[in-house]
Amino acid sequence: MEPIITIRQLSKKYGDKAVLNNINLDVYPGQIIGYIGPNGAGKSTTVKILTGIIQEYTGEVMVAGKVLKDNVLEIKKMIGYIPELAEIYDLLTPREYLTFVGKLYHLSDEVIEDRSRKMLDSFGLLGNIDQRMDSFSKGMKQKVLITSGLLHNPSIIILDEPLSGLDANAVIMVKELLQVMKQEGKTIFYCSHMMDVVEKVSDRIVLIDKGSIIANATISELKQDTNESLEQIFAKLTSDGSQSQKADEFASVFSQKNNE
Amino acid sequence: MNKLFLKLAMLPSGLWKSMGADVEQLKAILKVRLTLDDRKPLSFGRQQRVKKDRKYGSLLNIFLSFIMGILYTLPLAIPDRIFSLAFYFTLFLFMLTFMLITDFSNVLFDARDKYTLLPRPVNDRTLVLSRLLYVFIYLLRIVFPMSIAGWVILGIMDGWKSVVLFPLPLVLMVFMALFFVNGIYLLLLRLAKPGRFKEIINYFQIIFSILFFACAYLLPRLFDARRLVNFNIHDFASMRWLPSYWLAACWSWLGFPAGLPGTVWLSSLAVLFPLICLFITVRWLSPQFADKIGEMDSIEPSEQKIAVKTTSRSGKKFYKKLADIFNRSDAAKAGFIITWLQTSRSRSFKMRVYPTFAYVPVYFFYLLTTKREPLNNVWHGLKENPSYLLLLYLCSFVLMQALTYLTMSDQYKAAWIYYASPLVTPGKVMSGGFKAIWVKYFIPFFAVLGIFIVSVWGISAIIDVVLALINVTLFSACIMRIGFRHLPFSIIEQTKQGGVRIIKVFISMIVVGGLGFGHYMAIHMFWLKLVFLLLSGGLLWLVWDSYANTSWESMIKSELE
Repeated sequence: MEPIITIRQLSKKYGDKAVLNNINLDVYPGQIIGYIGPNGAGKSTTVKILTGIIQEYTGEVMVAGKVLKDNVLEIKKMIGYIPELAEIYDLLTPREYLTFVGKLYHLSDEVIEDRSRKMLDSFGLLGNIDQRMDSFSKGMKQKVLITSGLLHNPSIIILDEPLSGLDANAVIMVKELLQVMKQEGKTIFYCSHMMDVVEKVSDRIVLIDKGSIIANATISELKQDTNESLEQIFAKLTSDGSQSQKADEFASVFSQKNNE
Repeated sequence: MNKLFLKLAMLPSGLWKSMGADVEQLKAILKVRLTLDDRKPLSFGRQQRVKKDRKYGSLLNIFLSFIMGILYTLPLAIPDRIFSLAFYFTLFLFMLTFMLITDFSNVLFDARDKYTLLPRPVNDRTLVLSRLLYVFIYLLRIVFPMSIAGWVILGIMDGWKSVVLFPLPLVLMVFMALFFVNGIYLLLLRLAKPGRFKEIINYFQIIFSILFFACAYLLPRLFDARRLVNFNIHDFASMRWLPSYWLAACWSWLGFPAGLPGTVWLSSLAVLFPLICLFITVRWLSPQFADKIGEMDSIEPSEQKIAVKTTSRSGKKFYKKLADIFNRSDAAKAGFIITWLQTSRSRSFKMRVYPTFAYVPVYFFYLLTTKREPLNNVWHGLKENPSYLLLLYLCSFVLMQALTYLTMSDQYKAAWIYYASPLVTPGKVMSGGFKAIWVKYFIPFFAVLGIFIVSVWGISAIIDVVLALINVTLFSACIMRIGFRHLPFSIIEQTKQGGVRIIKVFISMIVVGGLGFGHYMAIHMFWLKLVFLLLSGGLLWLVWDSYANTSWESMIKSELE
């Protein structure tokens, strides 16, 4: 099977600072990739490159057999992106925002209306479809954002911390949704810090640290010789394992003399 | 510069402390706010413009303020020093109050630091003072270059004593305006329900800015300039009740003769009045400020509990119908829709744009009455000359103001959606936004004026109305093409404009001002007007084509200017 996303020697610098160093990655259709890494590892930069938001980088990114740099618009049409922070024009109502986004993807009014209603209904937000979002909670905005990312029925879905702010029921629903979409053959690129969720939903884990991929395997391959959780494996690979010592040091700040 | 102003703002720290503020916190908050301003990004995904250009832009701003300051010194020609200064300070106070209401109102009620400051142990008085002193620093940046001309002239005329005294009333004046305007806001905040407060403030701002504008232009009409030449102090005795007279009365300390009785006593009000305003604002009106600000945005609807008619609407909404009529591409429709909706709801947009509708008739009236004839004569003379051209071309203010603020938003980060979606030509979205503004604000206003003009000047004026419509649209399209190629609501509002852009806009204003002049010259030549109509129409088509086809590359390039 041909990979749907191929990344070769991808590097990105901000000034002198290298954020991504020679990333190589293949993602196959219908896979859920858990893309994890410590803060500042380069996850968001990878996502911004894949979604076409950042277009200056070295190396090659191919999506569905097409070079990203030469076919940005065609590839953007295939991708549904759900960003981490709920940045949204919140003076609009969900219905209005989704109409606006739908138009950017050339959807007809009827399709936008039909899909918006059904998707918001699943999230329990149909009753709020004509309310301005400026008084919505973070979770409610996130639900509208998820809806807007999936509205055009993309074949590749890129999620950056999609569960942030969602209540427990919505989290269960999104997890189920990921499985359903996977069965439909959609490819999902899932960035998160919530290791338990990543562990449960991902077919493959890609661990990035300091701009380089340090692990790329299935969860069973990662756990091959150990019974550790993904969280513990993550800690082992991305730090010197002195977390509890650091926590002690942190707490001891308050017990030192001369401190108020 | 910031450091110097920060020091100045913190100079009376003993006073701030006695008002109940925590001086250390106050300084820390101010410092952070000023640093943040310096590092504001240009728009979604773009970094701050290069330092050199910013420096150039601020130098140009300082220069413009300086030039304006020269104009303000005109009253200093009046021989009576206290009276001349009273006029001088009146001009300043008008300008400051107007700016406080239009440009800086939102600073006091900015809820963006809700999560950074409100959970911290910062008391209401510190919070209110930090916001007010922040505005104070911005005002000083404008007032200082403006006052240089006055300072120099006083030095030449009166010697060093006036030079030394001058900064005191100047700073007191800024305090006066600052604490007075914001005191009224805090009073409104106390009286109004949190949910309604934003709306109340918005309409208060709109009405007051119109009133101020009307007063600034029309009040001097009530005075007779000849009375200033043959100056008699008792013609202006009522001036003693104006705060600007109290500020000028400080010169009585230097021995300048005071024509009006009680002037020396009134000079003490120059010091007392700002202090009283400060005291009332900070001591009495500040408590519960954080509560109210916190409440303002936190009326949370619970999911599903609100019964909203969610059955599919029969028939399309009006704005969607218009979007379909005026736009062919989906991208342009998206631009039209978001502009139509956001402009109806964004408070800052309404605040910036709605008053300009009133400015047009006020300014028209002002220009009509420059000859100081009785109103009856003005009205009868109206029909005899083509003064309606002035009214028509003044409309470009409304369109330009609305179009400029179309690109700006506090939520500029939400513009990520344009970059992530398969948008081929950002110009299409921009053109949709332009059309929404044109259809929603400009055409109805222009139509009302057109009907008025045709009813006064007769049916033959129709060709002029149409030609002016095309010319004003052409003018606005030119400015947008040259200076504002941004996606709707995608850039942050800057307190300072880029120098290059100001010059570009200035040049295009001159060029297109020529259009109006050409129209005026051709006023009695119907056929020539028809030729102009065709020429302007053709030019508009060309400019529009270039604007609506703005590519990503050229948009990003223009953002960096």
